[in-house]
Amino acid sequence: MNKNIAMCSLLVAVMLAPVVARQAAEKVELKLQLPKPMFIGTPTNIKSPNLEVITGKPRGPFMVPAGTKLLSLKRPVKSSDMQPVIGEIEMVTDGDKEGGDGYFIELGPGKQWVQIDLRATYALHAILAWHYHSQARVYRDVIVQVSDDKDFLKGVQTVFNSDHDNTSGLGLGKDKEYIEVAEGRLFDPKGAKGRYVRLYSNGNTTNDLNHYVEVEVYGTPLT
Amino acid sequence: MSRAVFGSLVVMALALALAFRLIGADLRPVHHDEANQAVRFGMLLETGEYRYDRNDHHGPTLYYLTLPFAWIRGQTTLALLDERTIRAVPAIFGAGLILLFPLLARGLGRTAVAVSAFLASLSPALTYYSRFYIQESLFVFFTLAFLIALGRYALQPRQVWAVSAGALAGLAYATKETSLIVLLAAVAAAVLARVWTVAPGESGGEAPPVSSGTRAGHVMAGLAAALLVSVAFYSSFFTHPSGFLESIRAFSIYVERGVGSGPHAQPWDYYLRLLAYSSSGGLVWTDGLVLALALVGLLAAARRSAARFWPRYIGLYAVITCLAFSSVRYKTPWNLLPFYIGFVLLAGYGGAALIHGARSRVMRGLVIVLLVLACWQLGMQNWRANFQYSADLRNPYVYAQTSPDFLRLVRRVTDVSALHPDRAGMLVKVIAGPYEQWPLPWYVRRMTQVGYWSRAAEAGRLDDAPVIVASQDQAETVGAALGDRYVSEFYGLRPGVILTVYIERALWERFLASRQPQPQP
Repeated sequence: MNKNIAMCSLLVAVMLAPVVARQAAEKVELKLQLPKPMFIGTPTNIKSPNLEVITGKPRGPFMVPAGTKLLSLKRPVKSSDMQPVIGEIEMVTDGDKEGGDGYFIELGPGKQWVQIDLRATYALHAILAWHYHSQARVYRDVIVQVSDDKDFLKGVQTVFNSDHDNTSGLGLGKDKEYIEVAEGRLFDPKGAKGRYVRLYSNGNTTNDLNHYVEVEVYGTPLT
Repeated sequence: MSRAVFGSLVVMALALALAFRLIGADLRPVHHDEANQAVRFGMLLETGEYRYDRNDHHGPTLYYLTLPFAWIRGQTTLALLDERTIRAVPAIFGAGLILLFPLLARGLGRTAVAVSAFLASLSPALTYYSRFYIQESLFVFFTLAFLIALGRYALQPRQVWAVSAGALAGLAYATKETSLIVLLAAVAAAVLARVWTVAPGESGGEAPPVSSGTRAGHVMAGLAAALLVSVAFYSSFFTHPSGFLESIRAFSIYVERGVGSGPHAQPWDYYLRLLAYSSSGGLVWTDGLVLALALVGLLAAARRSAARFWPRYIGLYAVITCLAFSSVRYKTPWNLLPFYIGFVLLAGYGGAALIHGARSRVMRGLVIVLLVLACWQLGMQNWRANFQYSADLRNPYVYAQTSPDFLRLVRRVTDVSALHPDRAGMLVKVIAGPYEQWPLPWYVRRMTQVGYWSRAAEAGRLDDAPVIVASQDQAETVGAALGDRYVSEFYGLRPGVILTVYIERALWERFLASRQPQPQP
């Protein structure tokens, strides 16, 4: 019996090996256009178990399946605050990622979200977000979700959640908070499928407002 | 302008001023200076005792004048106080400025005073620091009242004005020791304006001349009134006689600060730049309207044909005080108020000059429409400064302001204490330097077991406290001592200042359990 199981396992492994190898070979580095840094270093050496370690070094290459494309450029954006205090909601996907004035939107205080409609369901491989990178700050309760439901009532997949105390009421998050930098924060959706991407935040360490410079969603069409 | 229209306009301006200063008084997180003063007031409220501290506090009028506000609201202890009570004091004095303006109607004209009243009621700077539990709005109130009394004396040298000016100078001094700069500037302005307006055909004198002996008597009476009032306050109403002398000894501290190169040192044009234009993070701020109108007012005051004592007196006061404050290296944005109030009055005079100088009804109407639009701009900026961005670094009036993120820390401590068996008696250890401790004592005033240490080594064993708050320089030591038995979080206190909160793991688990995930909306 054991011998048969071993033989079957070996056969499956031999059969799958080329597929796995091809998939691995088809991974390519995600090429990103990053804005110029607006500040160097951090104003204070923050250390917390709940905060990603600040290395000060570039993120390094991020591998995605071949054929991965930017899906979010100029795609429609919705928000919990459709009349931003500063900027226009369309700026979230306009491709401008500079950190200066005139490149970000400012949403009201407390929990707010922006939602990007990719116009079709895709397999998602990278989500890159810049909240505000002209000052070192941490945005609170960042949650990134993917769904095929525009109202995010069903089929919701959570890609990232740093709401470690469930302030937002969307479940306890296990991901660490992070300091905003010019290279943005890359979230790995691990191939999650969906048409809509929603990003939550709940103020930041400097003020209680919410900002977005740009959000980029990368993925591949469903086969 | 008829008396009825004038009265109606002043009442409208006063109502606006009260609304802008009193509504949402608790919106902005309490600044560390406010918290420090509020706790100090709490001691006076609870014990009836006050001792002047020359090292880091201004005069006592703020504290004594807060007493009736607390009594009216039935608040008898520090724990019972709230932001609405303490901030009502500067708000009432800030709005009360408008009530002083009609006293200038004869000297500046009703139109000028009405325009000034609206500019003052809508001014973002005057409003911002009238919502701040610090001495400034009381100081500006007493200073303006002194300015008016001194001006009256300059024109009508009667004892009543001398004593009034003296008493008001005493109140200004009992509010801020540094009032001497402003008081001396006012005296210089009065002398210069008096000399300027006694030229042929420009006499501002309205009373028969008095002998030098009588005048000396007036001066003595004024000085006695000033001394009596300031000694009364600084000596805690004659129970702590050395308090007044301490206030004089404080001069050396302020002189040292004024010429030193500390963190508050700014270039000479700091105040003018702050008022003229600033832009940050997509927001643009300007009080350019007030400055431009003040310039018009200054020119109108200087014109020979329009020579009058009061506009020249106010103009000279504003310019001299502005130069004096600009020449001092130590600068904080609220220190602009004593001369800014002069600019506002000059701006009103400038606005009136434009209205009355218009050659046709159409032109006059146009000027009035432009002034209304300009007031609208000021009002919108006021709303942004005081309601939308009251704690935002981009707001030019924000200075070392407590971050809204700090309120999360306060909520966290309050929430976990509610789950602890000792509740409000839960032990909290705060390990941070004095600058990083404030404004926490205000926010945890209802908790009975909160201790403060500057260094971890001084706080004894740490794990006897379910909650520990530490500054960044102490966090490493505290974290190493506590290990995995505590969960830590960090919060922004002020720009670039972070506090770490350590919560006993079992307590943290209870807290998390109290926050069951809710279904997604």
